Amino acid sequence: MKADNNAIKVHLVADSLEIGYGDHVIVENMDVEIRKDRITTIIGPNGSGKSTVLKAITRLIRYQKGSVMLDNRDILTMKPKEFARIIGVLPQVHSAPADFRVKELVSYGRMPHQKLLAGLNAEDERIIKWAMEATGTWQFRDKSIFEISGGERQRVWIATVLAQQPEILFLDEPTTYLDIAHQLDTMALVKRLNRETGIGVVMVLHDLTQALEISDHIIVIKNGKKYSEGTPQQVITPQMMKDVYDVDCDIITVPGREKPLIAYKQLV
Amino acid sequence: MAKKLKRNRGSVKLLRVGLLWTFLIVMITVLSLVAVNIGSVKFPVSQIFKSVFSDRSLLTDEQAVIRTIVMNLRLPRVIIAILIGACLSASGALLQAVMRNPLADPGSIGVSAGAGTAAITVLLIFPNMTTALPVFAFVGAAFACVLIYLLAWQDGVSPVRIILAGVAINSVLGAYNSLLQLMNSDNLTGVLAFMNGSLAGMSWTHVRTIIIYSVLGIALAMLCIRHANALQLGDEMAKNLGVRVNAARIALSAVSAFLAAATVSVVGMISFVGLVVPHISRMLVGSDYKVMLPTSVLMGSVTLLVADTIGRTIVPGMEIPVGIIMSVCGGPFFLYMLRKRGKYNEG
Repeated sequence: MKADNNAIKVHLVADSLEIGYGDHVIVENMDVEIRKDRITTIIGPNGSGKSTVLKAITRLIRYQKGSVMLDNRDILTMKPKEFARIIGVLPQVHSAPADFRVKELVSYGRMPHQKLLAGLNAEDERIIKWAMEATGTWQFRDKSIFEISGGERQRVWIATVLAQQPEILFLDEPTTYLDIAHQLDTMALVKRLNRETGIGVVMVLHDLTQALEISDHIIVIKNGKKYSEGTPQQVITPQMMKDVYDVDCDIITVPGREKPLIAYKQLV
Repeated sequence: MAKKLKRNRGSVKLLRVGLLWTFLIVMITVLSLVAVNIGSVKFPVSQIFKSVFSDRSLLTDEQAVIRTIVMNLRLPRVIIAILIGACLSASGALLQAVMRNPLADPGSIGVSAGAGTAAITVLLIFPNMTTALPVFAFVGAAFACVLIYLLAWQDGVSPVRIILAGVAINSVLGAYNSLLQLMNSDNLTGVLAFMNGSLAGMSWTHVRTIIIYSVLGIALAMLCIRHANALQLGDEMAKNLGVRVNAARIALSAVSAFLAAATVSVVGMISFVGLVVPHISRMLVGSDYKVMLPTSVLMGSVTLLVADTIGRTIVPGMEIPVGIIMSVCGGPFFLYMLRKRGKYNEG
């Protein structure tokens, strides 16, 4: 469905961003380049500013200095609805009234495409169904969002953002409140979406093993500044773990696994 | 079989909503007829129909009296109860979306206190301007509301800041209102009537004023539905969906304040409708404003019609202001709904 859009490579380029409140600077001198064809992950310790960067480049919060260009257009000059048709964000904190039905919630993803008084048309219905089938949530469509499990609910929220038909999907800590099975489930879904529908993915993740496993590109942030970026193998090194997280570890290659593992030393 | 039922859940819900709306409209009609019929003097329904619908020149003296009472006293009052109830409920429903808080009502953005301050000032200090009271009350309500939003503004308007600024302004205005009443404690009849919201003495003039405001206000409220729904998903999610969150909050608040100010300026303060009716309709039909807002509007009309009819008939020879009836009956009924529908909670 998205195949015809693959020719247009959406790029989002942030240049020397400074983000903060009043005199308090949280993130400074931040350059970020997001490419549509890959999964980009932003990692860093608590309070390092990783979520702040994600929010600033998706217009959820303001930045004080620098610029963010989406396909060579300043994002601040774009209309909110137009921006929402290209960039979909699943914020870390979201809630819906308990009585909302799954499909009803997903249908809100069509808002950026709807005129003020228009209802859902056949095209909207088709895309809602597509988004729900892609996330494996179509079977719950008539349930209330609190009748399903936390992992299923997270997939419903991803379906909602997917129904926006964004070129790039931003997920802020999508696995934080989920148990391990649902975390892996969500990661698998994200990877599949990127590979099969060609949608760009940008995530903030806490779990470094998952970041290593799923990412094409990782950006490491420490104290509001970029520490390093590159492929997972380039970025996740014992030195980085020591400098950024103050954790000793070995990076171990396991036969039969494509990506290495992180073996922490302190618990041993 | 079970599978088939499941598939039809959407349409079953639609049918239920349709039935509920039909029921509420029938209720409004029946209650209007009852309200026109009963009062300090009770007339047979056949007499009412005869005196209202037959040629005026053919009426007996008694029928002419009936016609006057029904047409000039009771009917305008019934119409006003319907409109006011609708406006107050719509106003409360919108504010609850703006604040993402089930305790928001038109009072929390200063509409009642502002209108009260203006009304008390006019009634007690400039009594010769009493005829222009609705205008002053409307301006007072709008002024207090704007003041609260200006004070709450800091890089946008967050619900918590609105509520806190509202508490501050309500407290200051409340103190002024109390002081003025204390200093004029021998002259409070008009003030008390205003503070307790009464529909006594409503005429066609009032109907003409309020019908313009309420039709306009409710039409505007219906335009807010999609944004009210989006705000329920949280500010960041709403922003992600392309909603200008601050602009939406201000627009929704403005419509809500307009609806509440229009009612308060004509009939005075009626509490509880704006708080409770949206809740009850939320419990019955869910949180989707496409369904919930129209349900609130209809249910608000029913509620106020019932309350006013009780107020003017329960104690013979005396009128109890509808505001008092609303507070007395609304509280326990709300508790009953809350206990019966325990599953109601904020996601």
